[in-house]
Amino acid sequence: MTLLLPAAGRGWRYPLALCGLLGLLSLHLWLDGGLNPAAQWVQLWQEPVDFSGLQFHYAALPRAAMALLVGAALGLSGSVLQQLTGNRLVSPMTLGLSAGAWLGVVLASICLPGMLALHPAWPALGGAMLALGLVLLLAGPQGLNGLPLVLGGMAVNLLLGALATALVLLHDQYARNLFVWGAGDLAQIDWQWTLWLLPRLSPALLLLWLAPRPLSLLVLGLAAARGRGVVVSTILLLLLAALWLSAVSVAAVGLIGFIGLVAPNLASLLGARQPRVQLAASALLGALCLLGSDCLALAFSQWAGDSLPSGAVTALLGAPALLWLARRNLRPAQQAAAPPSVVAGQRRWGRGGWLLAVALLLLLTLLSVCLAPMPAGGQLRWVLGWPEALLWSLRWPRSLVALSAGAGLAIAGVLLQRLLRNPLASPDLLGLSAGGSLALLLAASWLGQPLLQGGPLLALAGTLLVLGLLLWLGRKQGYAPGMMALSGIALAALLDALVQAVLAKGTADSFAVLGWLAGSSYRVSGTQALWLSLAVLVLGMLTLAAQRVLALLSTGDGVAQGRGLVLERVRLGLLLLVALLTAVVTAVLGPVAFLGLLAPHIAALLGARRPLAQLLLAALLGAALLLLADWLGRVLIYPRQLPLGMLASVLCGAYFILLLCWQRLRRGGGR
Amino acid sequence: MSVRILLCCVAVWLAGSVLPVMAGGMDELEQASRQPSRPPPQRIVALSWEAAENLLELGMTPLAVADADDYRQWVVRPRLPAQVPSAGSRLEPNLELLASLKPQLIIISPSLLSMRASLQRIAPVLNIDAYQPGQDHAQAAERILLQLGRVLGRERQAQQRLQQLEQGFAGLRRQLQARGAATWPTVQVIRFANPSMVYVYGSNAMPVLALRRLGLRTTAQPAPSVWGVSQQRVGQLVALQQDIVLYQQPFAAAPQLFASPLWQGLPFVRQQRFAAVAPAWSYGGAASLFYLAQGMTDALLHLPIATAASRPSLR
Repeated sequence: MTLLLPAAGRGWRYPLALCGLLGLLSLHLWLDGGLNPAAQWVQLWQEPVDFSGLQFHYAALPRAAMALLVGAALGLSGSVLQQLTGNRLVSPMTLGLSAGAWLGVVLASICLPGMLALHPAWPALGGAMLALGLVLLLAGPQGLNGLPLVLGGMAVNLLLGALATALVLLHDQYARNLFVWGAGDLAQIDWQWTLWLLPRLSPALLLLWLAPRPLSLLVLGLAAARGRGVVVSTILLLLLAALWLSAVSVAAVGLIGFIGLVAPNLASLLGARQPRVQLAASALLGALCLLGSDCLALAFSQWAGDSLPSGAVTALLGAPALLWLARRNLRPAQQAAAPPSVVAGQRRWGRGGWLLAVALLLLLTLLSVCLAPMPAGGQLRWVLGWPEALLWSLRWPRSLVALSAGAGLAIAGVLLQRLLRNPLASPDLLGLSAGGSLALLLAASWLGQPLLQGGPLLALAGTLLVLGLLLWLGRKQGYAPGMMALSGIALAALLDALVQAVLAKGTADSFAVLGWLAGSSYRVSGTQALWLSLAVLVLGMLTLAAQRVLALLSTGDGVAQGRGLVLERVRLGLLLLVALLTAVVTAVLGPVAFLGLLAPHIAALLGARRPLAQLLLAALLGAALLLLADWLGRVLIYPRQLPLGMLASVLCGAYFILLLCWQRLRRGGGR
Repeated sequence: MSVRILLCCVAVWLAGSVLPVMAGGMDELEQASRQPSRPPPQRIVALSWEAAENLLELGMTPLAVADADDYRQWVVRPRLPAQVPSAGSRLEPNLELLASLKPQLIIISPSLLSMRASLQRIAPVLNIDAYQPGQDHAQAAERILLQLGRVLGRERQAQQRLQQLEQGFAGLRRQLQARGAATWPTVQVIRFANPSMVYVYGSNAMPVLALRRLGLRTTAQPAPSVWGVSQQRVGQLVALQQDIVLYQQPFAAAPQLFASPLWQGLPFVRQQRFAAVAPAWSYGGAASLFYLAQGMTDALLHLPIATAASRPSLR
């Protein structure tokens, strides 16, 4: 086993790594069981006689073993995925696998609670496999080494995540106990899980043994690899093995992100070049990373008296690590993600289309205000008609907020996609929504402030802070799209981890947090609605005024510069506009995923390709979509309500996946 | 495009969304009970479960209860009649439904304070803050039932019910004392989050207050949160060396945890000082406190320590 570090000094670095591992292991056991290294050594060779012995044998040791196993599995899985796809941003987390597993568990906890208690792994596995199936279907065998895989993964991730959140919100009492698990908790009470996991990790050996040859050929490119006898089924098999590894890990301990992303990056940073060394080093580093993070989680739990899930710690450490790695590793050429065109329609958007769109929006608005179920004598009855004063005063703020937030997010999405020339860009991708939400969540959990007090101010502060950070980080790379998107992923994951940490406390506040994060128009007052619409209107006008600049930017940096644009300043200004739009919407509604991504797409798909047309049509569509989501949220499970953000994510996510599937089928599977 | 214009827009927008006014300092229920309205309201919506419980204890059927179906499953007692509809969720009650019910009073808990303005357009709102930090929740629960009775013109029923509950407590205490409870070790109550995590009830949590009402000693420490629970790992329960430990049901993963060697090694498990308590609502009002105490008495009376004490000593 020659791994970890390049040739120089290999002789003494390997024992050093081993010593480091042992030291960390001992520290971990010390933190967990309270026994010093000498006592651990004694304890190891004897039957437990007192409770501290039991704790060492049945809690501390299995936990450490679990950390090592899961860390290694995730690191290995991430390494295979990254080498297969040639994409350093791919990992079990970014492929939507964890969201799938989470959905599986939530579903099982509601439908089959008894089965979940006895076999918690199978629903998680089922969900992860569902996610995997969807992603594979979306990407197809040709898309594996490109952006389509990440694209499909993100779509699946968001869709399944939104569904899981919806289920938790609907069945809060049943799902409450799952929160700790969902946050990736390594705590053990016996060896059961370790023994469960161990045989299921055997594909890892297969990977280490068989994978290096096809992987080293794949570096030459798919065509060259095929020329030398690597068949697609081999690649698929490797992919499946990698996903299996992460699926069983998620099934055993819950959501632990970033290890699969960071470990392989760290391995290559330390000089692991050949596939075999990469794989082995990633596994070892993954184990070390998770063990180290878990040490911190244990230390924090002892210091604060409140347990912090390991998954939250990996994200807290992983997010900045990812940013740092990206800055070191990615060359500008890699950062500029080459976008595949999702848009394939040929039609032009004519005057009739505009009339139709406006008419549709008006009709929807009227519908959302006038049509609602009402209780009448113990029965529900649909009532269509102009609402009386009281109902009107309850309905119009929600409709207005949905309309203006939808338009605002759509405009922000168009701006971002054009600005970064990246069809995947959206406010949530840049981490702007996450920044706003993080600020609110931190204030709620550490300052003990009720979540929704002072929301707008805090959200704006958070969003602007993220924007400032982005601009500072991105300055050197000229605000390159890849870098920006990466920071967004990192921030979003950080937010996820914190949300899970807060939820893990399992108090009543958890549900307020969850509800707000799902994006709800419920608490919006009339004044807020008016101010939001005014803000979106003003910011939208400013955007329209900038449409010429946008058109120039779309033609390419060289042309734009030739026409006298100061690129950096223009980008800065437009990004600020995006941040403001996102901040105002996030502050009022909470994060609404997917809409900023989708509305511009549909607009372009319908034929609105020029900046002005795309901006306007996307705004119309965004408004209509959120309005529809809000109305559905009010009536679907009356008298309970679903948050519009979540419904929008489900609607848009399902549409997005259908769109991708349809395109793949049209292109044909056998190309 | 000018950055300054944008900043101006932000400033204007912010000015419109100034922080919501802070909640009032004086206890609202107390104020209302000093000047009860004539005639007292009859059509009342309860948007929190302890409000629903208190209404039912006063012999009034709420017009609607938030999360009514979950109430029937989790609070169980006092029973909520089947025809009482759900008013939506406790965090987001359905305003349109409430408006159509035309209530005379809406009772909320502090988690809905931010919705007060909207609710007030439908009917007068009464906020009952049952879980204020730093107070004795059990005493507060009795005060709340009395004050609510006064507000609703049912002061007599409230007093009667409290007397009944007190007699009930006295009965439970007698049963326990007859089994030698005075000589028992201290008692601690827990609830499981999952097989490796427990919530330990602190000294201001209702189950612990119910224990004290039963005349039992408890080890509960002040818990940092308002709700009175702190989260611990199962192994930390070893600190309860001499205690009787009760756990609040339900706990689906019980077979898995209880079979593990770690669990079997805990002192209170080895010495059979551990028992399950029938489900009851641990964040409720005065009646819930009694139902909790009933469940705990049942559990305690089945412990070997209680059955041993009831037999004449062989020594």
